[in-house]
Amino acid sequence: MKSLSLYELNNLVRSTLENTMCTFYWVRAEISSLQFNRHCYLELVQKDERGQGIMAKARAQIWANKWYAIKGHFERVTGQVLSAGMEVLIQVEVTFHELYGYSLNISDIDPTFTLGDIARKRMEIIQSLKNEGVYDMNKELPLPRLLQRIAVISSATAAGYGDFCDQLNNNKFGLAFHTQLFPAIMQGNGVEESVIAALNRIAEDLDDWDIVVIIRGGGSVTDLSGFDTLALGENVAQFPLPVITGIGHERDDTVIDMVSHTRVKTPTAAAEFLIHHQAEELGKVEDLALRMFNSTISIIQDEKHRLSILSNKLPTLFEMIKQRENARLDRNFITLQSLIIQKTANEKSLIENKLQRLVSATEALLTSQQHKLEMLQTKMDGADPQRILNLGFSITRIDGKAVQDASTLHAGQAIETTLKSGTIKSTIQ
Amino acid sequence: MKKEELTYEQAMQKLSAIVQKIESGQMDIDSLATNLKEAKELISFCKVKLTKVEAEVKKTLED
Repeated sequence: MKSLSLYELNNLVRSTLENTMCTFYWVRAEISSLQFNRHCYLELVQKDERGQGIMAKARAQIWANKWYAIKGHFERVTGQVLSAGMEVLIQVEVTFHELYGYSLNISDIDPTFTLGDIARKRMEIIQSLKNEGVYDMNKELPLPRLLQRIAVISSATAAGYGDFCDQLNNNKFGLAFHTQLFPAIMQGNGVEESVIAALNRIAEDLDDWDIVVIIRGGGSVTDLSGFDTLALGENVAQFPLPVITGIGHERDDTVIDMVSHTRVKTPTAAAEFLIHHQAEELGKVEDLALRMFNSTISIIQDEKHRLSILSNKLPTLFEMIKQRENARLDRNFITLQSLIIQKTANEKSLIENKLQRLVSATEALLTSQQHKLEMLQTKMDGADPQRILNLGFSITRIDGKAVQDASTLHAGQAIETTLKSGTIKSTIQ
Repeated sequence: MKKEELTYEQAMQKLSAIVQKIESGQMDIDSLATNLKEAKELISFCKVKLTKVEAEVKKTLED
């Protein structure tokens, strides 16, 4: 029986392969592991439909002379580091070595395929977030008027955080900001866990913060795959404060960029966003102040105008009232005058009347007295002793008194007898 | 009401209300001065909130 040594067999396999296979093939596979030790050593797998069992497996390597070109191009295009779990489209040469066996020699990788795969996975995550009803939650949060107390999730060492703080603190409006860094890993595998932990620390003192900013310095393109996870997407989307992301990748939005309240390109742009927001708020305050100033001025001017119109009207009004009152006064004076005249006339006529009556009454009285006097005169004329004497009678007096009774007389008394003319003195015997 | 108890949001709402009232001519002259004084306080309160003044005062107090 003819037999082959193992080397001979392997050599036969090798030459058969080398003779029958094409120079290279484009192959789709998933990287299950990847190690770098001057050259890059990979393990490639193909999983079954359900993604469970492994249907095929192969070792592969990228030699150092190709590695840096392939790696650089891949990272520039995808924004991701070649790593386990990634679907890749690779150009391979099939090799077989008598000692090391079957392996694939990778000469090129098409990054656009991986990009498509990343995008597909990202879309799946987005779809899950939408199905859960959380996708828009952070976007729907209203931005508070004051965005002042800023919780920053970033890497302490990254230039991005420093740029962000410089930009904020040197704003030309003199706006105040308070920032605090919540350090987190911003590239590679630790991203999901450490960013979620940082979010949780912020959530412990939610009232101390107005907004969360997740930023990452730009510069070299590094592994952003950590920002494309469902758990991180859920945490950011459902975070009770608005989240601004400035992860710093020009081409694609990561999952957290898509669910965050606002996405900007760079940390500087995130600072600009906050400054702009606050400057606008300052503008509103100043606008209100100006409006109030203007309105007040115009109200006061209006009132002054009203006052001056009124005060201009005053003299005319006063003149009018004065004339009216004067006229009234005149009328009253005339009325009073005529009243006085009338009253005086009345009184006068009354007095004259009384006087008339007094005169006539006096005359009547005088007349009647005169009459009485005349009657008395007549009477008295009748009683005059001379008239009796003239008739031949005489009057005998004693001591000046007329003697009426002769029996009262005594002899020896002197008596005086008065005749019509002359007197006789005699003595009683 | 003490100014310290006001939030920026509340201050802005009060300020807007006063300005609107003045602008619409509903403000009577008697209360104009009072309202103006209050508005002035609200404006400086809001400005201080927005600008460095507050931060600087705080910093001074902490030092």
